[in-house]
Amino acid sequence: MRTMNNAGEHPAAQAAAGTGQDQSLVRADETILVTGANGYVGTRVVRMLLERGFQNVRCLTRATNPPSRLEELAGEFPGARVDIVKGNLLSCSDCMRAADGAALIYHLAAGVEKSFPGCFQNSVVTTRNLLDAAISTTTLKRFVNISSFAVYSNERIPRGGVLDESCDIDAKLVERHEPYAYGKAKQDEIVLDYAKVHGLPYVIVRPSVVFGPGKAKISDRIGTSTFGVFLHLGLGNRIPLTYVDNCAEAIVLAGLKPGIDGEVFNITDDDLPTSREFLRLYKRRVRSFFSIPIPYPIWYSFCSLWERYSKWSEGQLPPVFNSRGCSVYWKGNRYSNQKAKTMLGWQPGTPMREALERFFAYVKEREANEL
Amino acid sequence: MIRVGIIGCGKMADQHALQIQRIPNAEIRAVCDSEPLMARQLAERFHVASAFTRPQDMLKAAALDVVHITTPPPSHFSLGKACLEAGCNIYVEKPFTLNMSEAEELIRCADQKGLKVTAGHNAQFTPVMMRMRELVNRGYLGGRPIHLESQYCYEFGDAGYAKSLLGDRGHWVRALPGSLLQNIISHGVSKIAEFLTGEHPTVMAQGFTSPFLESIGEPDIIDEVRVLIRDDATTAYFTFSSQIRPVPHQFRIYGPRGSLIVDDDHQILIELDNRAYKSYLRYFIPPFRFARQYVGNFKTNFGKFLRKDFHLPNDAALKTLIESFYRSIDGAAPLPLSYREILLTTKIMDDIFTQINDQRTNAHPARDPNRFKMQCLRS
Repeated sequence: MRTMNNAGEHPAAQAAAGTGQDQSLVRADETILVTGANGYVGTRVVRMLLERGFQNVRCLTRATNPPSRLEELAGEFPGARVDIVKGNLLSCSDCMRAADGAALIYHLAAGVEKSFPGCFQNSVVTTRNLLDAAISTTTLKRFVNISSFAVYSNERIPRGGVLDESCDIDAKLVERHEPYAYGKAKQDEIVLDYAKVHGLPYVIVRPSVVFGPGKAKISDRIGTSTFGVFLHLGLGNRIPLTYVDNCAEAIVLAGLKPGIDGEVFNITDDDLPTSREFLRLYKRRVRSFFSIPIPYPIWYSFCSLWERYSKWSEGQLPPVFNSRGCSVYWKGNRYSNQKAKTMLGWQPGTPMREALERFFAYVKEREANEL
Repeated sequence: MIRVGIIGCGKMADQHALQIQRIPNAEIRAVCDSEPLMARQLAERFHVASAFTRPQDMLKAAALDVVHITTPPPSHFSLGKACLEAGCNIYVEKPFTLNMSEAEELIRCADQKGLKVTAGHNAQFTPVMMRMRELVNRGYLGGRPIHLESQYCYEFGDAGYAKSLLGDRGHWVRALPGSLLQNIISHGVSKIAEFLTGEHPTVMAQGFTSPFLESIGEPDIIDEVRVLIRDDATTAYFTFSSQIRPVPHQFRIYGPRGSLIVDDDHQILIELDNRAYKSYLRYFIPPFRFARQYVGNFKTNFGKFLRKDFHLPNDAALKTLIESFYRSIDGAAPLPLSYREILLTTKIMDDIFTQINDQRTNAHPARDPNRFKMQCLRS
């Protein structure tokens, strides 16, 4: 059991907002709900909340997800109560059960299916159900909605220009053929609707490309192997990465910091590597492979042609490569994390160099195990 | 202009909407889903004027010629009937209904109203199945089929659908009388039903749970089925498996003079002609003849691709079926699927589920590894 001070708060919880004088929005004994708690980022969010001394963390996971990671985590913090609630966000009663009495909700669960209706249902309908449950509880202090960097448009930002929270949300995500981003943008819209109509206290967090041990994929922003050989598309672009622990830390702070309701935070780490630097390190640390550098104008022309062919052939090839998507991912922008640093008091705890080394070590070990 | 409505705005509805948009003289006028957000997203993405949450409101407000029912199967019958009673032709996704009595009632109702019905057996209309049918109609088999083999298999590993099924204990597929099977096997069974001539074929089915599903704690889902079907003149095997790799979707039809192999996975049609070669020539000449057929299949497929007429086979098949159905509504063509074929498919599926459920009921509750072994097929 952990020691509590006279005010009934764990010392770590007092410092939850990052500075000694700031108050945490929620008390250590209040209930915090984390959806998608068994996921890549969700597990770390739960861990950080427990490390900060929060005593009542409720974890919503899918019915068939193995809860072992969360159970292990609960075992590490015997003084805290970690409720693992199995349920489906498509069920209103499961949402009511999960949200009941929660002071803070971190909504990390997301639809990552390939189809538009699949992503929409698992991002928007689920969020609506959770929001209905959230506004029906009198205890809610904040709803932290986890969105995505992918919802932005960079149409009006020149090459090399800064993409930040003030940029436009892409209104043509269907044309971009991105069900995930479409679902996330619509999810944000419904959160804003509930804020407007029901006075929902919310914060939106938009992580960039989350990476780290546990996820071996090279981001599409760097390149693609779709055509059997690795096409290096990012070249000199800075890649908007956030190390999984740093991202989880920012998400946790977005729930705890008082006075930031209605704000949106983009999460990218400091010292972002260029695509070229990332790939060079990857080849050095993990394995060497052949890659073909493709300059942006050539790739953009290819994507535009593909898009036109897709339209002409009535979708014989789906428009997976298209000019809008190409622009968003490979035009090359700079990214600001100033708002998160200033308003959340967030600092990426793991420096980029170390984060990359951890990631490469994980990928190398995993590939060795697969052999 | 065919005025179209869609009830059920999930993944299947998207596939329908994409193909309907490609059909000249067809327009989606209204969509409906009990979940308003789902109805709205489909309407928004496909620029449909009206979105409804109650079918009766849609049927009343929008003057529709045909309604596509793409909801989960338990609602197919009631929605189909409501649409027919409102004067709309219906395209009902597979499985057509939950059982034979519902299927008969829907078709009877359509006949009484002078309306038309079709089922979502689009796998019957892939380009290679169309080529096979053309050859059969030209008499390639040399008589009635003697034997049919339909393999319609499935892979749990990659499919998002399976993940959502296994990840959700309350998934509607689990509640179907035939569970997972009911939602998938109609594609493979309808291929057989098309060529059976008797009204009451004998069905002998054996079903069991694969060791894979047992190992992940899913002993209630049957994912391995072997069926022997026999009518007056034709026999058939149907295979459904989640374990065979690569996952086959094949149909073989054997006649008295020639036979055909349809490989739906690669859109390949192979003719097995009855040509005889002397002595060792039978080992040397046929390989060249087969090679020529494979090259011919490549030319056919690639030629269609160049003419932008080779959309992914299931999409192409869906468009062909929908377009044919619309032509039949206009009176310009016969129904793409005979009612007999729809009903026979439903009857065979009913028999399969009944037998498998009986086997489950009669099985010893203890987990006996021997029960995975195929027993003698029983009638």
